[in-house]
Amino acid sequence: MNSDDAAGIAAQVRDGALSARTAVERSLARIEVTDARINAFSARLNERALKRAELIDVHPQRHKMPLAGVPFAVKNLFDVAGLPTLAGSKIERDAAPARRDAVLVRRLEAHGAVLVGALHMDEYAYGFSTENTHYGPTRNPHDTTRISGGSSGGSAAAVAAGQVPLSLGSDTNGSIRVPSSLCGVFGLKPTFGRLPRVGSYPFVASLDHLGPFARSAHDLALAYDSMQGPLHGPPSDDPACAQRPGQPTLQLLDQGAQGLRIGVLGGWFREMALPEATDAVDTVAQALGTTRLIELPEVERARAAAFLITCGEGGALHLEDLKKRAADFDPMTRDRFLANALMPAAWVIQAQRVRHWFARRVARVFENVDVLLAPATPCVAPIIGTEWLQIGERRLPSRASMGLLTQPISCIGLPVVAVPLWGMSAAQPHLPIGVQLIAAPWREDHALRVAAQLQAQGLCSAPVARGL
Amino acid sequence: MDHSAYIDAAAATLGLKIAAEHRPGVLQFFALAAHMAELVQGLALEPHDESGNVFQPVPPHGADAT
Repeated sequence: MNSDDAAGIAAQVRDGALSARTAVERSLARIEVTDARINAFSARLNERALKRAELIDVHPQRHKMPLAGVPFAVKNLFDVAGLPTLAGSKIERDAAPARRDAVLVRRLEAHGAVLVGALHMDEYAYGFSTENTHYGPTRNPHDTTRISGGSSGGSAAAVAAGQVPLSLGSDTNGSIRVPSSLCGVFGLKPTFGRLPRVGSYPFVASLDHLGPFARSAHDLALAYDSMQGPLHGPPSDDPACAQRPGQPTLQLLDQGAQGLRIGVLGGWFREMALPEATDAVDTVAQALGTTRLIELPEVERARAAAFLITCGEGGALHLEDLKKRAADFDPMTRDRFLANALMPAAWVIQAQRVRHWFARRVARVFENVDVLLAPATPCVAPIIGTEWLQIGERRLPSRASMGLLTQPISCIGLPVVAVPLWGMSAAQPHLPIGVQLIAAPWREDHALRVAAQLQAQGLCSAPVARGL
Repeated sequence: MDHSAYIDAAAATLGLKIAAEHRPGVLQFFALAAHMAELVQGLALEPHDESGNVFQPVPPHGADAT
């Protein structure tokens, strides 16, 4: 625990060594000083945050609050009362302001956290770079000439820049794990259906997940445990949300990787990665004492399935706006959304069938292993504006390729913790790259335990970017 | 494969106008999706290999609150 991470701030606020107001003022000041260079925030909630902090400071239960006084921010697809939910778009500026906060915002605040703002993202979450034309690119705090990753780029950048110790994002095809990797922070994409999505702007209902970013595995677990639990309203508000009780993870972290069977994913997950990515996985595997290589069947088809489901659902969702005001879409997404609106039903339905086939095969693999390792991105953060990525003989579109290694995993809803390593790129040693710790459904605890051990060993860390 | 005819017909059916400046991007992306479709269509599935999507009936308000 550090004095400036979520657990550290909360401990100080609980015992009175630090006021929640001071914790929030420090966060707001850091945002004020750094955000002109990063462009993570789309809205700052100074007045609301300071009022909320003052309530925490006089709250009779403050000494019991696990997130007492912890400033946090959310991707701007989360509803925030009084703000239009932009989802990275220009179009939604015309939407009515949200009447209440998203469920996960309410849950974090109920545990003492304080919302300080909303964060930039790719338009409608359809991208891996947060080079948003409407609002400008969100820059990588560790090298501001480079992308932050996406679509939750603001969420990762805000944590990496030390603006907040905790943020929330969403992950449909990799949008938590990709920016975690490129910005060098810890990210958790829980099991599909684990956290309720009520009050968040959808992208692909079949694939959308919500989850936290932080600077430690401990903080991820702290936030995740605070957000777990079934919906308290009608289940039909989020039909995908599993009506299962929370399974706390924080107290399990000290167990580390002990007793867990760990394997390294081969095939697609090594072929579609540059040496800096495979070296990161090998470094983690060595630290965990595993040489076991595991190949999943038909990974490329699973990735294609996620791609097509995204096309079909994303295109249909925006059809009316595409008809009425296509010119108002971000040029980075527009042509793709237009094409998506035309997807033949047979392609999308077959993709859903392949998805389920793949999930059943991978479930068999998890009968003999607990955690699988894979790179989170094929490479470190590219320069803003990069169009192409060369992987071996393949010349691939750079932005879409950032999700090559995450997409097959979120396709079947497995929980993943992305952990950051440093110095893996000989050419760019100042840049981080992430490794996915992938567990069986509902076993977030396994991935978090391994992440905690790797951090305790000093192999993974999320330092605040210097020189901002 | 040229998808132009399909794109024109599907767009007209949906009432979706594709401006000339967007057409090259739409064609390019649709071709990529078609490649993905070849991949998923290429996996041999049995009739009972259904999608995992399950519709959940919605009871009257109040009856399903938890």
